[in-house]
Amino acid sequence: MTRGEKAMKKPKFFLFLLGAVVIMFSGAAGTVENHFSWPGIAYAQEDWKAEFEDVCSKTQDAMTFTTDELKSLIARCDKLKPIIENLGETQRKVYGKRLQLCRDLLVFVLESKEKK
Amino acid sequence: MKKTLFVLVLVLACAGLALAQGGGKKKRPLPYEFGRVVINNYSEKAGLAPAVFDHWLHRAKFTCRLCHVDIGFAMKTGGTSIKASDNMSGYYCGACHNGRTVSNGKRVFESCSKSLVTNDRARCNRCHSLGRNVTPEYDFNRFTERLPKGRFGNGVDWEKAEEQGLIKPVDFLEGTSMKRQSLAIQKDFALGAKLEGMPDIIFSHKKHTVWNGCELCHPEIFVGVKRGATKYSMTDIFEGRYCGVCHLSVAFPMIDCQRCHSKPVQ
Repeated sequence: MTRGEKAMKKPKFFLFLLGAVVIMFSGAAGTVENHFSWPGIAYAQEDWKAEFEDVCSKTQDAMTFTTDELKSLIARCDKLKPIIENLGETQRKVYGKRLQLCRDLLVFVLESKEKK
Repeated sequence: MKKTLFVLVLVLACAGLALAQGGGKKKRPLPYEFGRVVINNYSEKAGLAPAVFDHWLHRAKFTCRLCHVDIGFAMKTGGTSIKASDNMSGYYCGACHNGRTVSNGKRVFESCSKSLVTNDRARCNRCHSLGRNVTPEYDFNRFTERLPKGRFGNGVDWEKAEEQGLIKPVDFLEGTSMKRQSLAIQKDFALGAKLEGMPDIIFSHKKHTVWNGCELCHPEIFVGVKRGATKYSMTDIFEGRYCGVCHLSVAFPMIDCQRCHSKPVQ
Protein backbone atom coordinates (compact mmCIF):
# COMPACT_ATOMS: atom_id res chain seq x y z
CA MET A 1 0.00 0.00 0.00
CA THR A 2 1.41 3.40 -0.95
CA ARG A 3 1.72 6.25 1.57
CA GLY A 4 -1.04 8.08 -0.28
CA GLU A 5 -3.48 5.20 0.15
CA LYS A 6 -2.64 4.95 3.87
CA ALA A 7 -3.37 8.64 4.29
CA MET A 8 -6.73 8.16 2.53
CA LYS A 9 -7.74 5.44 5.01
CA LYS A 10 -7.05 7.53 8.14
CA PRO A 11 -10.03 9.89 7.86
CA LYS A 12 -12.30 6.85 7.38
CA PHE A 13 -11.03 5.40 10.65
CA PHE A 14 -11.60 8.66 12.50
CA LEU A 15 -15.08 8.96 11.01
CA PHE A 16 -15.88 5.43 12.20
CA LEU A 17 -14.57 6.25 15.69
CA LEU A 18 -16.59 9.45 15.80
CA GLY A 19 -19.72 7.57 14.71
CA ALA A 20 -19.25 4.94 17.41
CA VAL A 21 -18.86 7.61 20.10
CA VAL A 22 -21.95 9.48 18.89
CA ILE A 23 -24.04 6.29 18.95
CA MET A 24 -22.71 5.37 22.38
CA PHE A 25 -23.66 8.66 23.99
CA SER A 26 -26.88 9.32 22.12
CA GLY A 27 -28.64 6.32 23.63
CA ALA A 28 -29.36 4.77 20.26
CA ALA A 29 -27.60 1.61 21.30
CA GLY A 30 -29.94 1.01 24.20
CA THR A 31 -30.55 -2.54 23.14
CA VAL A 32 -27.35 -4.04 24.42
CA GLU A 33 -27.13 -6.08 27.62
CA ASN A 34 -27.61 -4.22 30.86
CA HIS A 35 -24.06 -4.68 32.10
CA PHE A 36 -23.16 -1.73 29.88
CA SER A 37 -23.36 1.45 31.88
CA TRP A 38 -22.45 4.24 29.55
CA PRO A 39 -24.58 7.30 30.21
CA GLY A 40 -26.35 7.33 26.83
CA ILE A 41 -27.37 3.70 27.11
CA ALA A 42 -28.53 4.04 30.68
CA TYR A 43 -30.72 6.94 29.61
CA ALA A 44 -32.22 4.92 26.77
CA GLN A 45 -33.02 2.06 29.13
CA GLU A 46 -34.78 4.33 31.59
CA ASP A 47 -36.62 5.82 28.65
CA TRP A 48 -38.33 2.59 27.52
CA LYS A 49 -38.99 1.57 31.10
CA ALA A 50 -40.68 4.86 31.88
CA GLU A 51 -42.78 4.52 28.73
CA PHE A 52 -43.63 0.90 29.63
CA GLU A 53 -44.69 1.90 33.13
CA ASP A 54 -46.70 4.84 31.89
CA VAL A 55 -48.68 2.68 29.45
CA CYS A 56 -49.10 -0.45 31.51
CA SER A 57 -49.93 1.23 34.81
CA LYS A 58 -53.20 2.24 33.14
CA THR A 59 -54.57 -1.26 32.61
CA GLN A 60 -56.85 -1.14 35.60
CA ASP A 61 -58.52 2.01 34.24
CA ALA A 62 -58.93 0.45 30.78
CA MET A 63 -62.71 0.31 31.07
CA THR A 64 -62.90 4.08 31.52
CA PHE A 65 -60.98 4.92 28.31
CA THR A 66 -62.53 5.79 24.96
CA THR A 67 -61.75 3.59 21.96
CA ASP A 68 -59.35 6.23 20.61
CA GLU A 69 -57.47 6.37 23.89
CA LEU A 70 -57.26 2.58 23.93
CA LYS A 71 -55.98 2.52 20.34
CA SER A 72 -53.32 5.05 21.23
CA LEU A 73 -52.18 2.95 24.24
CA ILE A 74 -52.05 -0.20 22.06
CA ALA A 75 -49.95 1.67 19.50
CA ARG A 76 -47.54 2.67 22.26
CA CYS A 77 -47.31 -1.00 23.30
CA ASP A 78 -46.52 -1.97 19.71
CA LYS A 79 -43.77 0.63 19.62
CA LEU A 80 -42.24 -0.80 22.78
CA LYS A 81 -42.27 -4.40 21.53
CA PRO A 82 -39.20 -4.26 19.24
CA ILE A 83 -37.22 -2.39 21.90
CA ILE A 84 -38.00 -5.07 24.49
CA GLU A 85 -37.25 -7.85 21.99
CA ASN A 86 -33.73 -6.47 21.66
CA LEU A 87 -32.99 -6.51 25.39
CA GLY A 88 -30.91 -9.17 27.11
CA GLU A 89 -32.48 -12.61 27.62
CA THR A 90 -33.83 -12.07 31.13
CA GLN A 91 -35.28 -8.61 30.59
CA ARG A 92 -36.73 -9.72 27.26
CA LYS A 93 -38.48 -12.62 28.99
CA VAL A 94 -39.79 -10.58 31.92
CA TYR A 95 -40.85 -7.42 30.12
CA GLY A 96 -42.00 -9.31 27.02
CA LYS A 97 -44.53 -11.17 29.13
CA ARG A 98 -45.54 -8.08 31.07
CA LEU A 99 -46.05 -6.11 27.88
CA GLN A 100 -48.06 -8.95 26.37
CA LEU A 101 -50.38 -9.09 29.40
CA CYS A 102 -50.85 -5.34 29.24
CA ARG A 103 -51.46 -5.16 25.47
CA ASP A 104 -53.82 -8.15 25.49
CA LEU A 105 -55.99 -6.50 28.13
CA LEU A 106 -56.15 -3.22 26.22
CA VAL A 107 -57.08 -5.05 22.99
CA PHE A 108 -59.65 -7.08 24.89
CA VAL A 109 -61.33 -3.98 26.33
CA LEU A 110 -61.17 -2.19 22.97
CA GLU A 111 -62.82 -5.12 21.19
CA SER A 112 -65.52 -5.40 23.80
CA LYS A 113 -66.24 -1.67 23.52
CA GLU A 114 -66.37 -1.82 19.74
CA LYS A 115 -68.80 -4.74 19.87
CA LYS A 116 -71.27 -2.75 21.95
CA MET B 1 -60.52 -73.39 36.76
CA LYS B 2 -60.53 -71.93 33.25
CA LYS B 3 -63.34 -69.59 34.19
CA THR B 4 -61.45 -68.29 37.26
CA LEU B 5 -58.36 -67.68 35.15
CA PHE B 6 -60.41 -65.84 32.55
CA VAL B 7 -62.00 -63.58 35.20
CA LEU B 8 -58.58 -62.91 36.74
CA VAL B 9 -57.09 -61.94 33.38
CA LEU B 10 -60.10 -59.74 32.66
CA VAL B 11 -59.80 -57.92 36.02
CA LEU B 12 -56.06 -57.40 35.54
CA ALA B 13 -56.58 -56.12 32.01
CA CYS B 14 -59.24 -53.65 33.15
CA ALA B 15 -57.08 -52.44 36.03
CA GLY B 16 -54.10 -52.03 33.71
CA LEU B 17 -56.19 -50.07 31.24
CA ALA B 18 -57.58 -47.83 33.96
CA LEU B 19 -54.13 -47.11 35.33
CA ALA B 20 -52.70 -46.49 31.87
CA GLN B 21 -55.33 -43.81 31.28
CA GLY B 22 -54.59 -42.16 34.58
CA GLY B 23 -57.93 -43.21 35.93
CA GLY B 24 -56.57 -44.03 39.37
CA LYS B 25 -58.03 -42.01 42.20
CA LYS B 26 -56.06 -38.85 42.73
CA LYS B 27 -54.67 -38.36 46.19
CA ARG B 28 -55.90 -35.16 47.74
CA PRO B 29 -52.92 -33.06 48.85
CA LEU B 30 -52.36 -32.51 52.54
CA PRO B 31 -52.96 -28.94 53.80
CA TYR B 32 -49.27 -28.02 53.69
CA GLU B 33 -48.88 -29.55 50.23
CA PHE B 34 -51.82 -27.69 48.66
CA GLY B 35 -50.51 -25.12 46.16
CA ARG B 36 -47.06 -26.66 46.08
CA VAL B 37 -45.19 -26.22 42.83
CA VAL B 38 -42.13 -28.21 41.83
CA ILE B 39 -39.91 -26.44 39.32
CA ASN B 40 -37.43 -28.50 37.40
CA ASN B 41 -36.65 -26.80 34.11
CA TYR B 42 -32.91 -26.74 34.70
CA SER B 43 -32.31 -27.83 38.32
CA GLU B 44 -31.46 -31.51 37.83
CA LYS B 45 -29.41 -30.74 34.73
CA ALA B 46 -27.38 -28.44 36.95
CA GLY B 47 -26.93 -31.14 39.58
CA LEU B 48 -29.44 -29.66 42.02
CA ALA B 49 -32.70 -31.02 43.38
CA PRO B 50 -35.84 -29.52 41.82
CA ALA B 51 -37.01 -26.32 43.51
CA VAL B 52 -40.10 -26.55 45.71
CA PHE B 53 -42.30 -23.49 45.96
CA ASP B 54 -45.03 -23.31 48.59
CA HIS B 55 -47.86 -20.97 47.67
CA TRP B 56 -49.23 -20.81 51.24
CA LEU B 57 -46.28 -18.86 52.59
CA HIS B 58 -46.03 -16.44 49.69
CA ARG B 59 -49.76 -15.84 49.31
CA ALA B 60 -49.96 -14.86 52.95
CA LYS B 61 -47.50 -12.06 52.26
CA PHE B 62 -48.06 -10.94 48.66
CA THR B 63 -50.98 -10.55 46.26
CA CYS B 64 -51.26 -12.81 43.21
CA ARG B 65 -50.81 -9.76 40.98
CA LEU B 66 -47.47 -8.82 42.48
CA CYS B 67 -45.90 -12.13 41.48
CA HIS B 68 -47.85 -13.09 38.36
CA VAL B 69 -48.16 -9.65 36.75
CA ASP B 70 -45.45 -7.39 38.14
CA ILE B 71 -42.71 -9.97 38.55
CA GLY B 72 -43.97 -11.98 35.58
CA PHE B 73 -44.29 -15.56 36.85
CA ALA B 74 -46.33 -17.71 34.47
CA MET B 75 -49.53 -19.32 35.72
CA LYS B 76 -48.40 -22.79 34.67
CA THR B 77 -45.73 -24.79 36.45
CA GLY B 78 -42.46 -24.53 34.55
CA GLY B 79 -43.94 -21.94 32.19
CA THR B 80 -41.52 -19.24 33.25
CA SER B 81 -38.34 -21.30 32.64
CA ILE B 82 -36.53 -19.53 35.45
CA LYS B 83 -32.76 -19.67 35.24
CA ALA B 84 -30.31 -19.04 38.05
CA SER B 85 -28.96 -16.11 36.04
CA ASP B 86 -32.46 -14.54 36.01
CA ASN B 87 -32.55 -14.66 39.80
CA MET B 88 -29.01 -13.35 40.07
CA SER B 89 -30.00 -10.35 37.92
CA GLY B 90 -32.80 -9.49 40.32
CA TYR B 91 -35.73 -10.92 38.38
CA TYR B 92 -38.29 -13.62 39.29
CA CYS B 93 -37.34 -15.11 42.70
CA GLY B 94 -34.41 -12.69 42.78
CA ALA B 95 -36.79 -9.72 42.78
CA CYS B 96 -37.25 -10.35 46.53
CA HIS B 97 -34.72 -13.07 47.32
CA ASN B 98 -31.73 -10.79 46.88
CA GLY B 99 -30.35 -10.54 50.38
CA ARG B 100 -31.46 -6.89 50.59
CA THR B 101 -35.26 -6.93 50.61
CA VAL B 102 -36.80 -6.85 54.06
CA SER B 103 -40.16 -8.54 54.61
CA ASN B 104 -41.91 -8.46 57.99
CA GLY B 105 -38.71 -7.18 59.58
CA LYS B 106 -36.65 -10.05 58.17
CA ARG B 107 -34.03 -9.87 55.45
CA VAL B 108 -35.03 -12.20 52.61
CA PHE B 109 -32.29 -14.69 51.81
CA GLU B 110 -30.49 -14.40 48.50
CA SER B 111 -31.33 -16.92 45.79
CA CYS B 112 -28.80 -18.15 43.26
CA SER B 113 -26.01 -15.87 44.41
CA LYS B 114 -23.10 -15.03 42.13
CA SER B 115 -20.80 -15.38 45.13
CA LEU B 116 -21.55 -19.06 45.74
CA VAL B 117 -18.97 -21.02 47.66
CA THR B 118 -18.85 -24.81 48.08
CA ASN B 119 -20.18 -24.92 51.63
CA ASP B 120 -23.02 -22.59 50.66
CA ARG B 121 -25.10 -25.55 49.46
CA ALA B 122 -27.40 -25.24 52.47
CA ARG B 123 -28.74 -22.01 51.02
CA CYS B 124 -29.37 -23.64 47.62
CA ASN B 125 -31.21 -26.43 49.42
CA ARG B 126 -33.68 -23.99 50.93
CA CYS B 127 -35.42 -23.93 47.55
CA HIS B 128 -33.87 -26.90 45.74
CA SER B 129 -35.29 -29.22 48.34
CA LEU B 130 -37.30 -31.93 46.59
CA GLY B 131 -36.41 -35.27 48.14
CA ARG B 132 -34.00 -33.66 50.59
CA ASN B 133 -34.45 -33.55 54.30
CA VAL B 134 -34.66 -29.78 54.66
CA THR B 135 -36.25 -28.11 57.67
CA PRO B 136 -38.11 -25.08 56.37
CA GLU B 137 -37.73 -21.73 58.11
CA TYR B 138 -41.50 -21.41 58.35
CA ASP B 139 -43.41 -24.30 59.83
CA PHE B 140 -46.83 -24.66 58.20
CA ASN B 141 -48.73 -25.62 61.36
CA ARG B 142 -47.19 -22.89 63.46
CA PHE B 143 -47.72 -20.31 60.71
CA THR B 144 -51.38 -21.15 60.11
CA GLU B 145 -52.56 -21.93 63.65
CA ARG B 146 -53.65 -18.32 64.28
CA LEU B 147 -55.50 -18.06 60.94
CA PRO B 148 -59.24 -18.75 60.45
CA LYS B 149 -59.91 -22.30 59.42
CA GLY B 150 -61.07 -23.34 55.98
CA ARG B 151 -62.53 -26.70 55.06
CA PHE B 152 -60.28 -27.67 52.18
CA GLY B 153 -57.05 -26.70 50.46
CA ASN B 154 -54.59 -25.36 53.00
CA GLY B 155 -57.29 -25.60 55.66
CA VAL B 156 -57.14 -21.80 55.91
CA ASP B 157 -59.80 -19.26 54.99
CA TRP B 158 -57.41 -16.76 53.38
CA GLU B 159 -60.17 -14.31 52.55
CA LYS B 160 -61.30 -14.13 56.15
CA ALA B 161 -57.70 -13.93 57.31
CA GLU B 162 -57.26 -10.76 55.27
CA GLU B 163 -60.60 -9.32 56.40
CA GLN B 164 -59.54 -9.83 60.01
CA GLY B 165 -56.19 -8.17 59.35
CA LEU B 166 -54.25 -11.32 60.18
CA ILE B 167 -52.53 -11.21 56.82
CA LYS B 168 -51.77 -8.10 54.77
CA PRO B 169 -50.68 -9.17 51.29
CA VAL B 170 -48.29 -6.60 49.82
CA ASP B 171 -49.18 -5.35 46.34
CA PHE B 172 -46.18 -3.19 45.52
CA LEU B 173 -42.52 -4.01 45.14
CA GLU B 174 -40.15 -1.08 44.78
CA GLY B 175 -38.22 -1.20 41.52
CA THR B 176 -40.55 -3.79 40.01
CA SER B 177 -44.18 -2.71 40.39
CA MET B 178 -45.67 0.23 38.57
CA LYS B 179 -47.32 3.05 40.45
CA ARG B 180 -50.99 2.66 39.69
CA GLN B 181 -54.08 4.67 40.44
CA SER B 182 -56.27 3.12 43.12
CA LEU B 183 -58.42 0.48 41.55
CA ALA B 184 -62.01 1.23 40.61
CA ILE B 185 -63.81 -1.78 42.06
CA GLN B 186 -66.23 -3.54 39.75
CA LYS B 187 -69.45 -4.70 41.37
CA ASP B 188 -70.00 -8.26 42.50
CA PHE B 189 -72.46 -10.13 40.34
CA ALA B 190 -74.44 -13.35 40.22
CA LEU B 191 -73.96 -16.11 37.67
CA GLY B 192 -76.82 -18.50 37.14
CA ALA B 193 -76.20 -22.14 37.98
CA LYS B 194 -77.05 -24.58 35.22
CA LEU B 195 -78.61 -27.16 37.51
CA GLU B 196 -82.05 -26.52 38.89
CA GLY B 197 -82.02 -26.15 42.64
CA MET B 198 -78.31 -25.36 42.72
CA PRO B 199 -77.65 -21.94 44.31
CA ASP B 200 -76.37 -19.29 41.87
CA ILE B 201 -72.76 -18.18 42.04
CA ILE B 202 -71.90 -14.86 43.62
CA PHE B 203 -68.74 -13.74 41.93
CA SER B 204 -66.75 -11.29 44.02
CA HIS B 205 -65.17 -8.95 41.51
CA LYS B 206 -63.87 -6.94 44.43
CA LYS B 207 -61.86 -9.79 45.91
CA HIS B 208 -60.58 -10.95 42.54
CA THR B 209 -59.50 -7.53 41.28
CA VAL B 210 -57.80 -6.52 44.51
CA TRP B 211 -55.72 -9.68 44.54
CA ASN B 212 -55.28 -10.21 40.80
CA GLY B 213 -55.73 -6.94 38.94
CA CYS B 214 -57.44 -7.19 35.54
CA GLU B 215 -54.82 -8.59 33.19
CA LEU B 216 -54.21 -11.78 35.13
CA CYS B 217 -57.69 -13.08 34.23
CA HIS B 218 -58.60 -11.11 31.09
CA PRO B 219 -58.34 -12.16 28.35
CA GLU B 220 -56.09 -15.17 28.94
CA ILE B 221 -58.44 -17.02 31.28
CA PHE B 222 -61.77 -15.32 30.65
CA VAL B 223 -62.12 -14.06 27.11
CA GLY B 224 -65.47 -12.30 27.50
CA VAL B 225 -65.81 -9.02 29.36
CA LYS B 226 -69.60 -9.15 29.37
CA ARG B 227 -71.23 -11.36 31.97
CA GLY B 228 -72.07 -14.72 30.47
CA ALA B 229 -69.98 -14.13 27.33
CA THR B 230 -67.57 -16.93 28.20
CA LYS B 231 -69.41 -20.24 28.20
CA TYR B 232 -67.94 -22.90 30.41
CA SER B 233 -69.04 -25.92 32.37
CA MET B 234 -67.98 -27.57 35.60
CA THR B 235 -66.14 -30.16 33.49
CA ASP B 236 -64.04 -27.38 31.92
CA ILE B 237 -63.31 -25.98 35.36
CA PHE B 238 -62.35 -29.36 36.78
CA GLU B 239 -60.01 -29.80 33.82
CA GLY B 240 -58.11 -26.72 34.98
CA ARG B 241 -59.61 -24.07 32.75
CA TYR B 242 -61.44 -20.84 33.70
CA CYS B 243 -61.97 -20.74 37.50
CA GLY B 244 -60.04 -24.02 37.64
CA VAL B 245 -56.77 -22.29 36.73
CA CYS B 246 -56.54 -21.12 40.34
CA HIS B 247 -59.35 -22.89 42.17
CA LEU B 248 -57.92 -26.37 41.78
CA SER B 249 -54.42 -25.82 42.93
CA VAL B 250 -53.95 -22.59 44.90
CA ALA B 251 -57.17 -20.76 45.75
CA PHE B 252 -59.85 -22.62 47.75
CA PRO B 253 -60.61 -25.80 45.81
CA MET B 254 -63.71 -26.60 43.78
CA ILE B 255 -64.96 -29.20 46.23
CA ASP B 256 -65.86 -26.33 48.56
CA CYS B 257 -69.06 -25.82 46.52
CA GLN B 258 -70.81 -23.31 48.79
CA ARG B 259 -67.99 -20.81 48.59
CA CYS B 260 -69.10 -20.01 45.01
CA HIS B 261 -72.66 -21.33 44.86
CA SER B 262 -73.70 -19.05 47.68
CA LYS B 263 -76.82 -17.21 46.52
CA PRO B 264 -79.88 -18.52 48.37
CA VAL B 265 -82.27 -20.38 46.08
CA GLN B 266 -85.51 -18.41 45.58
